[in-house]
Amino acid sequence: MTASRFDELIHAPTRLSIVSLLAASEWADFKFIRDSLRLSDSALSKQLTTLEEAGYVEIRKGFVGKRPRTSARLTRVGRAAFELHVAALQEMVVRSGASILPR
Amino acid sequence: MSEQLSPGEAAQALDEIQRRQQQVIDLAAIPAWYWWAVGGLMVVLGAGVDVRTPTAIGIAVPVFVVGMLAVNGWVIGRAFRHAQPRNGLLDGHGVVSILGFVAVIAGGTIGLAFALRGAGAHYPATWACLAGGLVMGLAGPALNRVLRRVMLSNRAGSAR
Repeated sequence: MTASRFDELIHAPTRLSIVSLLAASEWADFKFIRDSLRLSDSALSKQLTTLEEAGYVEIRKGFVGKRPRTSARLTRVGRAAFELHVAALQEMVVRSGASILPR
Repeated sequence: MSEQLSPGEAAQALDEIQRRQQQVIDLAAIPAWYWWAVGGLMVVLGAGVDVRTPTAIGIAVPVFVVGMLAVNGWVIGRAFRHAQPRNGLLDGHGVVSILGFVAVIAGGTIGLAFALRGAGAHYPATWACLAGGLVMGLAGPALNRVLRRVMLSNRAGSAR
């Protein structure tokens, strides 16, 4: 049986979307995440800080030419927590008798 | 909170997880024009090889090199400007598909060029590169679809 653990920190709607984007990425650009989720800079910063404080996300700030650029990625801890969370959600669906169909 | 979550809400969350990961994977799709651009650059190189004058080679080789750097730079740069898909999404099957595609195009083009030259055809490299470029333009999107399928099946939460 696959290990699973529901993670309340990840499951908050905006954070679930952020972590899902990061789960498929090596690094994701701040603007890409912000525009994908239609968040303001401050709202995204707040969510990323929460995830960073939990050790789930690493934030990198740098420059491309003279332009500042911020990127984020899931840490190993964050990826493990996300996978356990996904397994927990799958268990809930399976327990109800429904099937999980990939899109 | 998990105690209060209904199976329907869990399914909705899983759907969101899949959708967001797919968004990143779709960014990795190579546009159709890329394959035709690389095919066109191959033809330029082949023509340079056939004409074989210093001027022709002096034009064809830089055009090929600069063109390849530009189109590949654009594709790679786009991923870095948005989100670079996780390396683990492309498993052994994906890597074998890419290597097989390159081997078939390169091997087929070179083999055809030698065969045409052996048969005494004029401009064998140009014709062979034209054939290779056509195959690349037509088959490139198929490779895209294979790689997309591989990456989707490797994202978190997919039924494997």
